[in-house]
Amino acid sequence: MSKGLLTTTVGSFPKPDYLTRARNQFSLGKIGREELASLERQATAEVIRLQEEVGLDILVHGEMERGDMVAYFAELLSESMAIGGLVRSYGNRYYRKPIITGKLHWQGPMTAEMWRYAQGLTDKPVKGMLTGPYTMVEWSFDEYYPSRREAVLDMARLLREEVEALVEAGAKYIQIDEPAIHTRPEEDFDLAVEAMALVVDGIDCEFHTHICYGEVGLIYPDMLRLPVKQIHLAFKNTDFEYLKLLEKHPFDKDLGVGVVDVHDHRVETVEEVEDGIRKTLKLLPSERVWIEPDCGLKTRTWEEAAAKLRVMVQAVREVRRELGIEG
Amino acid sequence: MLTTVVGNYPKIPNRPRPARLRAAIARFERGEIDEDELRRVEDEVTIEVIEEQVEAGIDIVSNGQIRWEDDQTYFARRMDGFSIDGLIRYFDTNTYYRQPVVTGAVQWRQPITAEDYRFAAAHSPRPVKALVTGPYTLAALSANEHYGSLSDLVLALAQELRQEVLALEKAGAPIIQVSEPAILKHKEHFPLFSQALQRMMQGVTAEAHLYTWFGDIGGLFPHILELPFSAIGLDFVKGPANYDIITTAPFTKKLGLGIIDARNTKLETVDQILDRIRRVRDVVPVDSLYVNPTSGLEYLPREAAQAKLARMVEGVRQAQEVLG
Repeated sequence: MSKGLLTTTVGSFPKPDYLTRARNQFSLGKIGREELASLERQATAEVIRLQEEVGLDILVHGEMERGDMVAYFAELLSESMAIGGLVRSYGNRYYRKPIITGKLHWQGPMTAEMWRYAQGLTDKPVKGMLTGPYTMVEWSFDEYYPSRREAVLDMARLLREEVEALVEAGAKYIQIDEPAIHTRPEEDFDLAVEAMALVVDGIDCEFHTHICYGEVGLIYPDMLRLPVKQIHLAFKNTDFEYLKLLEKHPFDKDLGVGVVDVHDHRVETVEEVEDGIRKTLKLLPSERVWIEPDCGLKTRTWEEAAAKLRVMVQAVREVRRELGIEG
Repeated sequence: MLTTVVGNYPKIPNRPRPARLRAAIARFERGEIDEDELRRVEDEVTIEVIEEQVEAGIDIVSNGQIRWEDDQTYFARRMDGFSIDGLIRYFDTNTYYRQPVVTGAVQWRQPITAEDYRFAAAHSPRPVKALVTGPYTLAALSANEHYGSLSDLVLALAQELRQEVLALEKAGAPIIQVSEPAILKHKEHFPLFSQALQRMMQGVTAEAHLYTWFGDIGGLFPHILELPFSAIGLDFVKGPANYDIITTAPFTKKLGLGIIDARNTKLETVDQILDRIRRVRDVVPVDSLYVNPTSGLEYLPREAAQAKLARMVEGVRQAQEVLG
């Protein structure tokens, strides 16, 4: 019996209302760091319980302690980064864009403690979650380095120390997200690959990366040069259009397939998720296919996220049964 | 030597100042305020950002494009022939716009920006530059599902946007900036670009400026000087090659000198500004320079944008003293 169709998620989960309120109160100085941290742990435990109950194979801690995926790290890198002002990304959406103000260096573990806490709550493996070096720099202002290359490579060096801290804590899987990687592929793709290698080379751990929406076609098949075992793409949002790219050039890594749309309130049917999985299995063997949502679930309500994951797991079970695949 | 801006200005300030426009748009989307109320906030914020530019010492200000989501949809939504699709990256920035899709014959119906110009001019103690997205860039950043070729679309847009330029001229705009960053990414289309802009600007008597950003004009120079504009705006930060390129033939127009990096918070020093002005003054006389940021300022937090403008003015005043 073959194996495969492992299930996991891309990282973030919706924050419970009590945590959203507490984060606001903390930013206004009305509650202390300890009180917020205790609520973050409470919410993390709920995220772990939900994933166990749904029956996912590889869990995440849910990023209850994170707001923005770049600003979270920038705040902890306080000796070389500052939190800047709001910049508009589109429509009425703004993000706080950090500023690199000095030579980037690791100041101590940023994610290992929360990972340890989450792993302590479950027997299933929990993934470590990091933002990649290219994205960290691309989504920050840089007032220190003369070139983007120098900033990205120093960022990679410090993230390697974070990876080492996670591996030492016991992480077997680490996902390093690079949603900005297709910003200027012709100019910078080699740099992104070089930086990823600096982060992961020679470290005994299974590395995954998540590449978000955007011009995925521009970096395919180049993305296969990234030194990671698995690459995850948002298939559902583009109705599995990316399969056409894979038909033209074989995908020779593990593929994380997004099968539910995180920007759509509608919960997919089991049949449509099964259909997406079967389409993918025409091109890749099941042991190299992972089934996941399109992106982090933080954009959905708790109920929508849970419902989408249940449908996803049910569809995987159906397809496994049909094809005689062991989970 | 005059100072100006290239277009947009950050829409909201940071704490402790309130993000009034952001809150108003959110309330409008929730149905808590009506469109008139939202327009009133947009007007107030427009006045506020004009005041900030004036306070920084800018000679020729813009309305900050406070009502504009982006350069493309502000026109596409107000013309016939377009629908609006999903988000897409604007060049190599982390800013996204909804992509216009050309689904029918493009047609200008009524003035799009002229009323905005009148409002800004009435509330500004300094001259206000009007802004129009050029036909090539609007076409290149849209998806064409109607016209048989890109040329057909670009030329049709030039014909229609001409109405807008004439409306701005009639409204009394002293300077009309036509924004064409996309040509730098497709230089092979210069003959089409040139034909379109000739068509769009024919008979226009107002002072017109052609602005580009995020690259250099290698391959387009000196032909770009033949276009019917009195000034050409260039980005010397993303396109440092522009310094050398403009020395290869006599620069017969005024130059929009984009030397303040609109995409990074790092504040230029007065010395850097002086050096950059010195680098071009043998090519373009200082009284033919408009000094400005490299592009619109919305890539920066509001406070950083204002600080950059103030520093730019300081650098230019110093240059006026030193260089005469």
